[in-house]
Amino acid sequence: MKHKNALVFGYNEYAFEIVKNITSSYKNIHIFKLEENTSVVDKKNTTYEVSSFDLTDNWDEIEEKINIDECVAFCTLEDMAENIFLTISLRDSFKDLSIIALAKDKESATKLKLAGASRVVPLTQTTANVIVEMLEKPIVTEVLHSILYEQSDLQIAQIKVENYHLFKEKYPAEIDWSKEHGIIVVSVVGENDFTEFIYSAKAKHHPIKNGDIFIVVGYEKDIINFEKIIGSRCE
Amino acid sequence: MLKNLLVNIAYSINTSKKYAKTKHFFYNLLENPNYKYKKYFDIFMIMLIFSSVIILLREVKSQVDDSLLFFNNYVISIIFFIEYMLRLWISSSVTKIIIEQSEHDAMLGEKFHFFRPLKEILRVKFKYITSVKAIIDLLAIIPFFHHLRLLRLFILFRVFKLFRYAKSIQTFTSVIAAKKFEFFTLLIFASIIIFVSSVLIYVMEANHPDSSITTLFEAIYWSIVTISTVGFGDITPVTQEGRVVAIFVIVAGIAVFSFTTSLIVTAFTEKLDEIKDMKIIDDVSKLKEFYLICGYGSVAKEVAKKLSKSFKVIILDEHKDMVNLAIKDGFTALNYPPGSIDSYKKLRIKMGTQVKAILCLSHSDVENVYTALTVRSFNKDIFILSVLMNETSRNKLKFAGVNELIFEKELVGMIAKEFIGQPVAFEAIHAFRSNLNGIDIQEMVINARVLSSFKSIGEIQNKKYRIILLGIYKKQEAKFLFNPADSTELKNGDLLLIIGNIQFIKDFNNYLHKKGTR
Repeated sequence: MKHKNALVFGYNEYAFEIVKNITSSYKNIHIFKLEENTSVVDKKNTTYEVSSFDLTDNWDEIEEKINIDECVAFCTLEDMAENIFLTISLRDSFKDLSIIALAKDKESATKLKLAGASRVVPLTQTTANVIVEMLEKPIVTEVLHSILYEQSDLQIAQIKVENYHLFKEKYPAEIDWSKEHGIIVVSVVGENDFTEFIYSAKAKHHPIKNGDIFIVVGYEKDIINFEKIIGSRCE
Repeated sequence: MLKNLLVNIAYSINTSKKYAKTKHFFYNLLENPNYKYKKYFDIFMIMLIFSSVIILLREVKSQVDDSLLFFNNYVISIIFFIEYMLRLWISSSVTKIIIEQSEHDAMLGEKFHFFRPLKEILRVKFKYITSVKAIIDLLAIIPFFHHLRLLRLFILFRVFKLFRYAKSIQTFTSVIAAKKFEFFTLLIFASIIIFVSSVLIYVMEANHPDSSITTLFEAIYWSIVTISTVGFGDITPVTQEGRVVAIFVIVAGIAVFSFTTSLIVTAFTEKLDEIKDMKIIDDVSKLKEFYLICGYGSVAKEVAKKLSKSFKVIILDEHKDMVNLAIKDGFTALNYPPGSIDSYKKLRIKMGTQVKAILCLSHSDVENVYTALTVRSFNKDIFILSVLMNETSRNKLKFAGVNELIFEKELVGMIAKEFIGQPVAFEAIHAFRSNLNGIDIQEMVINARVLSSFKSIGEIQNKKYRIILLGIYKKQEAKFLFNPADSTELKNGDLLLIIGNIQFIKDFNNYLHKKGTR
């Protein structure tokens, strides 16, 4: 993992859930509470350092304590105007920082993107999508949920191609991955970071090269074997 | 002895399933607006009414065929008579009155007297017979005695029967009835004006040699024609005094006319929401299947938007402003509290057959628990999904009978984890789920038609259609098989989980369902 530290801005249920889920992935997690929220006292996160910040900060203090190049920031303030301001403020100070921001709706999501967030989670849309998918495609939801979020044998992985010579200028769709390796390649990420469905026209005309990333679904042991054959896990 | 026999007969009729079924059928046919065959009956009766009036009009100046007259005077009248008797029958239950009276007497230790229930029976039946609708029905039968020429005009009473069959006329009547006091006041006012002006004009004009008003009837006729602002001009005042009366009547006429118009408009405006609601309730009760969203908010709006692409969605909210917002957003919404059983009764929603699922999407866990519990209290099987706002309410919602919970905050945590772990893979799957770039993940059901051509996974040739087969959900075993072997047997009800271009998925679906493909 490239990032060692997580900076979680916001002291609310969203922040606590994020902290709960990313605990195993980061060495250090720093929680920052907006100074106005001093009345909120919660015992849930006493294991992590909780510092305060205000929106006029120029982040010198953080920069002194933490190596920003090794950080990912989560902006979870519930007031969208404040969250957008925080995102702009962070982006202004740290050009390469990965910022994941929560948006209440589509409108805020667009503004957060413009403010420089690397990834935006639109809360309303995400919840609505999950509800609708659960009603219309219950099995798809169950399977994808287990692949994406749960600790199951079936996993999704990004595998980087390092041994392209094994494929002799072949195209990804030409190979029967499931029969040969027990995994399913769903997408290919090529140069210029294009992500294409394996049977799309673009992917069909893209011979396998070193540096391509395959997005694969399969059982853990099959993925490990596949990884050994073609390259390495990319995270 | 005779009294006992009467009570026994009453019990036997009252407990007879066949009798109850027959009476219920006629009740539905004649009175229940939601009965599916009622509209055909209504159309039939409306056609009879119009044909009757057409025959009457034709008869004025032409010779009408005897068979048509027979049809008009006998067939239609007999049909109306049967209808009248059926309505009289279903208007109240004679047997129930007898039984209630006998039980009442037995409880008090009194002797059963037949005249008491008889009195009650006569009272309820007389009450029905003297109702406006029943009188119109009776008058519509009178043309049966067609030999009396005047009675033939009673055919026109058949037109009034339209009130029974045309819903819009019923709505209009109910709107006007809501303002009956105001209309009555107006009628009294107009009557006084007509009376005073008629007397005045008669006194002023009757003795003048050039005046055309010579009788009181002509004076009343002139007053009515003038006050109604029609003014034929066949009778006009010739004296100075008479013209002054005319000015007075004309001004009063304008006031009466404006008042009447404003009364009707106000009555309609006041009842507009109710009329609209009634129309929606009628439409909802006719729907075959729909999702019921309880509580409107940002998530509910998004869910309704997505679901309404393929299904009907009905929104219930107890807050009027939220209902208005939902209607403004283009959805069918009703201002009824989802946490009240009465709402579902009034809306005539059939939970078991009409509702696909209940979605409790209010931003309050308290409201969602209340709604879920209300629904569970009268339906144990319906699928209920709810959003969870606070982790502490999870058990309460589960306890209330919610099948599936969506906790937004937990979802955010999991998404954040995937974002930082495998962002590209996550984005790729997210793109498929959101149907971006024309690629979709779908479930395809294996049915008997597919099975007639394909027996195993190896036979379906998904790759030919550029489709990824992620796995198969075996219905019998309730188990998902990832990347199934070619030899995996297909069974009725199994689901294929496939990823592909939407158009190719359609082609693949057609290919699977085409009989004798292989």
